Amino acid sequence: MFEAFAQQFALFGSAAAQAFGFPQVFVTMIATVAGIIVGAVPGLTATMALALLINLTYSMQLPVAVAFLLGVYVGAVMGGCYSAIMINIPGTPSAAATALDGFILAKKGHGGQAIGVGVIASFIGTLFSIVILIFLTPFLYKIALKFGQWEYFLISVFGIMICGNLSTQSTPIKGWIVGFLGFFTAMIGLDAVYAFPRFTYGSYSLMGGISLIPALIGVFGISEILSVLQEDVPYSIESQLGRVLPNKEIVKDIVHTAVRSGLIGCGIGAVPGAGEDIAAWVSYDVGKRRSKKGHLFGKGSYEGLASAETANNACIGGAMIPLLTLAIPGSPPAAMFLAAIWLHGIKPGPMLALESPDFLYLTAITLIIATLSMLVFGLALVKPMVKILKINRKILMPIIVPLTVIGAYAGNVNSFDIAVMFVFGILGYILRKLNYPMAPLVLGIILGPTADISFRQALMQGQGSIIPLLGRPVGIVLMVAIVWILIAGIKNSRLQKDGGVSAA
Amino acid sequence: MSQLKKTTTSDLVMGVLLFAFGIFLIVESLGMKVYNTFLDAPGFFPLILGIIFSAFGLVMFIGSLRGGSVAAAKNTFTKATLTTLFLNPQSKRVVILSFFMVVYIFGLIGRVHFAIATFLYLFVTFFYLKSTTLVKNIIISAISALVIGAVFQYVFKIPLP
Repeated sequence: MFEAFAQQFALFGSAAAQAFGFPQVFVTMIATVAGIIVGAVPGLTATMALALLINLTYSMQLPVAVAFLLGVYVGAVMGGCYSAIMINIPGTPSAAATALDGFILAKKGHGGQAIGVGVIASFIGTLFSIVILIFLTPFLYKIALKFGQWEYFLISVFGIMICGNLSTQSTPIKGWIVGFLGFFTAMIGLDAVYAFPRFTYGSYSLMGGISLIPALIGVFGISEILSVLQEDVPYSIESQLGRVLPNKEIVKDIVHTAVRSGLIGCGIGAVPGAGEDIAAWVSYDVGKRRSKKGHLFGKGSYEGLASAETANNACIGGAMIPLLTLAIPGSPPAAMFLAAIWLHGIKPGPMLALESPDFLYLTAITLIIATLSMLVFGLALVKPMVKILKINRKILMPIIVPLTVIGAYAGNVNSFDIAVMFVFGILGYILRKLNYPMAPLVLGIILGPTADISFRQALMQGQGSIIPLLGRPVGIVLMVAIVWILIAGIKNSRLQKDGGVSAA
Repeated sequence: MSQLKKTTTSDLVMGVLLFAFGIFLIVESLGMKVYNTFLDAPGFFPLILGIIFSAFGLVMFIGSLRGGSVAAAKNTFTKATLTTLFLNPQSKRVVILSFFMVVYIFGLIGRVHFAIATFLYLFVTFFYLKSTTLVKNIIISAISALVIGAVFQYVFKIPLP
């Protein structure tokens, strides 16, 4: 017991030495500020920013790359609250619930304090989730080590099923379709077992498969740009800020909420692909029902604001748990982080504890530095940020297009990847317009190869029989969970349809 | 009501497309080479996906029929509705902006220098969106094209397309 503790402590020390180097701390601070700006500008999301920046990290050393990406991630998730509060347009989807109370507070002239509460709640949420990440992950590594082919196959299917269920605002079937479309995308190219070309039709460019990063940039970059530019809606900014630091009464009010929302956010973050926006809405809903002042939610409640903001940032640490232990990202921005660390030779999963044992702590310590930077700069930059919100989106969004082109091209130095990015951008735009969520598509592309190989190998080991699955408790639990999600989803679809028809 | 009509029509079309796509996947995967047994053949997993897509297609198709999609589709696919849809300012804007991207990505990049291609793309897009005045448009386009090219090529050492 003592030996294990000493070993973990030594790993923590070695990771701290890497994370606290001058370049890493400096990069984390700069990246956090950049992330806050990105998150604050409506139309620019944490996922889009990370997708564009992945290839920039290629020439960086691993600790610097981790500092860069996590700084942007933490900053961008929090940054969304500025525009949600000041202009009633969430800078990122995860800040949508924040706008409900934040904008009303801003209209009353308490915009500064509302942002202050948002920043402090985000700080508490992220820190809370990092603590859970540090203590829970080593135990999950041990469980994940016992996973066989069946478990990997089932957890891949479970991932896209639960993600499809949670991320869609329409019927869950739409989320599942998009998830399986991601699986299909991952099938294109040479088969991993026999190197047989699948769906390539003689194209050498397709033999290498659809590269993950160009597809991600297309889905979250190009489609977002088109979605933003199709609207021609100007917005006005509430210029009365008032004081920024919240008073003692407000802080007292939000502490209890922040702890509960931190738990909810971290838990939802750990669900594959669920993401920050779902965490914020669930936490807001629970907060409204649990709070003594629940009737004030939606009418300018600091508690309501804190519920949403704590949970969306707590999702960050939560999303890292399945990412590090199973290589399954808990949210779309975490998927970008996964793609980035793959580029640097880090292979998350149960073997990570043996191959790069200090990576967990490097991630956690970097997140702590980013969170502290977020608190300091988040509060210090309130007034300049209000000016940044005035940037014309009709100028900003077209400028991102060349960045998406470079981002897609840089990884393999291949023009074909630019075409892939564009095709996925248009596909993403059409699917969004038809109310299909994007998160399951990304998760499907990431998990597709695992699902394919694990399923075939599991069946081969059992000589075509699924009976060996019955002897695997985790496998059975996952199987039951998948069936439950399927039945619940179908029921939910029917209820929605019945509601829709009767409403019509 | 119009949103519901739009949804059921799109569900009907998506149901048919998914079913056709599923059948296509099944046919393609059955045509793939089998090395040892079919269970570890390259076509096995795509076959499963084909079955899943066909099933989803059927579910969506039947669900949309129950939701009154045939009547909704008849209303949607009239000349007047389609003309309204294509002449809708939002649709027009998306088509034109996508066209600019196509010209930039497939027509200019790789044929002219990245900075020149980017300048042309930004200038035309800003001009179409009426983002700013003509003079500011030229200045912002030129500065953005030069800065993006220089920063990525010389600071981040990333090759430009």
